Amino acid sequence: MPTDEPTHLDDAITADVIRSGLSVAVEEASIVVVRSAHSTFIQEGADACAALLDARGQLVAQSAATSLMHAASLRCSLPSLLEDVPAASMQPGDVFVLNDPYRGGIHANDLIVFRPILADGRVAFFAGTLVHVADVGGVAAGGLAALATDTFGEGLLLPPVHLARGGEPAADVRRIVARNSRVPDKVLGDVDALVAGVHVIAARVEDLLARHGVDRLEAFVDAWLVETERRMRTQLAALPAGTYHGSFVIDGDGVEPGRTFDVQVAVTCRDGAVDVDFAGTATQARGAINASVSQALSGVVYGIRCFVDPTIPMNEGCWRPITVHLPPGSLVNPTPPAACGGRIVTVAAAVEAILAALAEARPDLDTAASGLIHVFTLSGRRGGTPWLNLFYEFGGVGARVGADGPDATGCFFLGGRSVIPQVEPIEAGNPVVVRATRLRVDSGGPGEWRGGLGVELELELLSDAVATVRGDRMLLPPPGAGGGSPGRAGEFAVKRRDGRVETLAVKQADVPLATGDRLVVRTSGGGGLGVPARRTPDAVLADVVAGRVTTDAAGRDYGVALGPAARAVDVEATEALRRAGPR
Amino acid sequence: MSGAVVGVDIGGTFTDVALLDAEGRLTIGKQATTPEDPRVGVVEALRHVLRDAGIEAGAVTRVVHGTTLATNVVVEHRGGPVALVTTEGFGDLLALGRQARVEDDRYDLRYTPPAPLVAPALTFEVPERVSAHGDVLVPLSDAALGGVVQAVTDARPAGVAVCLLHSYAVPDHERRVAAACRAALPDAFVVASCDVWPELREYERAMTTVVCALVGPIMATYLAGLEEQLAAIGVRCPVEVMESSGGVVSTAAAIRRPVCTVESGGAAGVLAAGTIGARVGAADVISFDMGGTTAKTGIVRHGHPTIAHDFQIAGRGSFGGARPGTGVPVKTPVVDLAEVGAGGGSVAWVDPGGALRVGPRSAGAVPGPACYGRGGADPTVTDANLLLGYLGVRDLAGGVTLDRARAESAVAPIAAALGIEPVDAAEAVHEIANTTMAAAIRMVTVQRGIDPRDFTLVAFGGAGPVHVARLATQFGIRAVLVPWAAGVASAVGLLRSEPTMELVQTVLVDLDDQHADAIEAAFADLEARARRELAGADGPTARVTRSADLRYRGQAHQLTVAIPSGGRGAALTRAFHDTYRHTYGVASDAPVEFVSARVRVTLPRQADEPRRTESAPPTPAVADETRPVRFVGTGELCDTPVFDWVRLTADASVAGPALVTGADTTVVVPPGATARVDDELNLHLSPPRGTGGSVVPASEP
Repeated sequence: MPTDEPTHLDDAITADVIRSGLSVAVEEASIVVVRSAHSTFIQEGADACAALLDARGQLVAQSAATSLMHAASLRCSLPSLLEDVPAASMQPGDVFVLNDPYRGGIHANDLIVFRPILADGRVAFFAGTLVHVADVGGVAAGGLAALATDTFGEGLLLPPVHLARGGEPAADVRRIVARNSRVPDKVLGDVDALVAGVHVIAARVEDLLARHGVDRLEAFVDAWLVETERRMRTQLAALPAGTYHGSFVIDGDGVEPGRTFDVQVAVTCRDGAVDVDFAGTATQARGAINASVSQALSGVVYGIRCFVDPTIPMNEGCWRPITVHLPPGSLVNPTPPAACGGRIVTVAAAVEAILAALAEARPDLDTAASGLIHVFTLSGRRGGTPWLNLFYEFGGVGARVGADGPDATGCFFLGGRSVIPQVEPIEAGNPVVVRATRLRVDSGGPGEWRGGLGVELELELLSDAVATVRGDRMLLPPPGAGGGSPGRAGEFAVKRRDGRVETLAVKQADVPLATGDRLVVRTSGGGGLGVPARRTPDAVLADVVAGRVTTDAAGRDYGVALGPAARAVDVEATEALRRAGPR
Repeated sequence: MSGAVVGVDIGGTFTDVALLDAEGRLTIGKQATTPEDPRVGVVEALRHVLRDAGIEAGAVTRVVHGTTLATNVVVEHRGGPVALVTTEGFGDLLALGRQARVEDDRYDLRYTPPAPLVAPALTFEVPERVSAHGDVLVPLSDAALGGVVQAVTDARPAGVAVCLLHSYAVPDHERRVAAACRAALPDAFVVASCDVWPELREYERAMTTVVCALVGPIMATYLAGLEEQLAAIGVRCPVEVMESSGGVVSTAAAIRRPVCTVESGGAAGVLAAGTIGARVGAADVISFDMGGTTAKTGIVRHGHPTIAHDFQIAGRGSFGGARPGTGVPVKTPVVDLAEVGAGGGSVAWVDPGGALRVGPRSAGAVPGPACYGRGGADPTVTDANLLLGYLGVRDLAGGVTLDRARAESAVAPIAAALGIEPVDAAEAVHEIANTTMAAAIRMVTVQRGIDPRDFTLVAFGGAGPVHVARLATQFGIRAVLVPWAAGVASAVGLLRSEPTMELVQTVLVDLDDQHADAIEAAFADLEARARRELAGADGPTARVTRSADLRYRGQAHQLTVAIPSGGRGAALTRAFHDTYRHTYGVASDAPVEFVSARVRVTLPRQADEPRRTESAPPTPAVADETRPVRFVGTGELCDTPVFDWVRLTADASVAGPALVTGADTTVVVPPGATARVDDELNLHLSPPRGTGGSVVPASEP
């Protein structure tokens, strides 16, 4: 360390080093949490996050390598901790844990850990981490209680409680958590990973405090938040002023037969600020698709950030120009004890609604809807030992103005396929054989710009097991936009060993599977954008050659006829087809 | 030692050669790279150097080669076509991929992932299946094998990558497919994933194999031709190739696994900076290597460069590293570095919005910067540096005389478009290049939370010493080192490399007494293979290091743990708990799983160090001439003394403003800076203290 450190705040390099130092602290913590977690299913870009917040609860820095689904998670839950445990009473070495979705949490399996960072005898900052832990009880293993109707069925709920006092682990709380888990060792390993993460942040910030002093560091942080807010407001001011409307319809909650759910939003842009109002959104569901407030807010900030400079840091300054109205008792602000574990369905619907609304302001950024993440668990016992795995597969992404939708990485705010475990490690750890993972031909919604393809996964059981599935956008597949068609609907099915095929519900719990049975997961394709008949015949031909579209579908959906062996477009036949009728 | 050793580093613009003779005399040469056949430039440069050194070609006992051929092939989508054969049901393995939207891309509604390296039409499925535990679930029938081989043959690929599920554990099916493809396609480059990098996780293993198949044919032709052409001028010694991890291997080994050379050239530079730093007592250095096409940065801490095991070719991400899920992943070890498209040949242009931009397009070796007079008309960073006076018309760059008039006519259009004087435009070009290079320094330091002011900045490459003082000032870095022969420092670094072979094998078992023998057997087998690959490594002098990827049972991620000598069983478990606690701050007593064994065998070489070229008594530095130079921010040309580096003696000191010109580069010493020569003729620069300008402009576009 240099000894003749400059001592004024306007040293731009010092500012740069501090800013990066804080960002790196949370980034490193998230890597520690993800890589040291004991959950088998925590991959890169995973269901986790790490953040630094200040004593007032303002978000200072948030990990970028983790899921955007948690943009608001730590920011929303810290106030609950401060409500129950005044900052003035906190001691060095204290660590807290909570997961109550009605206190800023998400669902039972997302444990949130905070550690205060003290300077000059007072709390100056909080380090926070979150990870989807292996299991905390509830009616379904791994936290996928697809048909739970209240939070009590979703697992152990923790108000803000001590996980350590003055550096001494709170053994009683750890015992409670372990006793409520199907895999006590793993969940304690995950808790340790979360604690390791907050220690990493604290160590980094304590270095900066020692070097710069708390007053300077706080002044610097404040200036950074103000600068971020300024950038955010400048960007928002560039959007045409007005109120824009969007909506999205959800398949169902798996509990109330036949009921669909509307998410409605009005987005008002004015004077460098944005107001997001969910008035008109369906009342809360009996099933688990309700989104707690923190989850709804994560969706909101994502949707808006797609329309501003993406390099704006994720901190409190980014949030300040945004106001949000979440009607109490609705899908996006449910009343306890409504179940919240399936909230991704609602959050993703909220994102689609916001994207649709803001596309009115920015037609160049119009998009069709995407297939949702399809989640399923398999669990059982092998030789007396319980096993459990949480799987994901993605639907196709919706088409965009000027571009087809990417395959199998929907929806937009989920980072992509790096979160999906590979076949070899899955098979090494679980009694399953993955027989195939293939793109689904013809699943992309037809349009001038085609929706991305969904996938088909076929998985054979080497041991008796129980499956729980949770999808959406499978009964009402991802709609197209601007004249485009919806993507092809996905489905969950079981191929029994004797050849029988059973189609499962979109959300179904505890499906018994026998050794030799196969679970088939087909994910929905993304919606198309623009009238299919306007897609260039060459683009259709290229899709046929690449195996994305069949020759039949080329004629039926796009009005494109291909010559022998599908080597070229039959121009005359295509013209005739396209004259014959609108597509 | 007997005989001479030669280091050859091929850049995008220049081919650098360093020759160290039996007496420890260093002779260097630089030749324009010949992109259509890089070997022409190598032979030409080597001929010049042999002549300058007065050495017979037959006296050369070893040629060490650093090349960016592999990376270029991948990045420029050259090579191929490559076919991929994989297990039935997984033909979409690469198309589905593990691509992730990261960083800013996640908010980009228009983001489209890159196309897979192998087209769907060239991906073939073969009916076969092995379980994770080695059971054959679907046997590979001769009929099925014949069918897929026929289909592959009909596609006439130049390379074939075979990657079947669980082949890291049970390679039989994969080997049969590869052998059959080899027999049917004798001219194709056929690679089996189990032979390249037998590690768990099918996507990365497949990509690593595909890169081999893509690069292999080009690499094989290239290296065979190089040995032939060297032999034609009388150099008949073995050629060695630097791998990305910083070790060197025989050409035969390099051809077997060409993916290991993806960062060959970059690794040499970082190693060179580390070695030079160590010789002057700086254990923590930032290497800054600016050539004609790109600038590369890396850091060496406590004398060691960082080795990454999850490299992504053309990967993306911030915080100083490419994120998993971006670029082309390769699992083979790579010296960690950052690269940006800013070099002497980077072309300046005015974008549609009227803003001046520099790079990433480079004029390369052909046609080169306008001032080279080889037909280039685009203004480059080198042209700007000539107009600013940093380079003189007589400064020889690979035998080229610089043409000032051509530089002026090239810069004139952008100056006109911006409505400013050509010299002001030149300064703007120079500064924009600095900003881009600052980003590369930032990536390996600030973005990792490392304060660059604690480091010594080692600048080399033809253009590095021209820009380094200004960069150091921007960062507040106080110690800058420009090594003697800086223009060819990477080539000099190659002289110091050691033959090294690193191998991996996944062995997925519990780490307990029951499996201790199996684990030991895997290590012993890897060590034996590595020793075989390295000629002469069968003796006791070889340095063998073992490491293991371990994790708590059921975790998704593993940790690479260095294994203490002779460590097995309980010692391994203890090493894991210690490393885990050190890395993550916690540890548990849960059961530990063994994932992969890694062995690195190095054949130590007696360090061949260049001696001082001469030992004249210290004399005051005397300028050879003066020329008008424009320093950034001064707004005027200033008559500046120019010193000839060879005539500076140990302890000589030069005060800025000044220029120090060497045979292969020019060191800019701005007003307020001083430069001191040490007794190995390296230049120690103390840049003027800055007022603390921003390192990088605000990221707002």
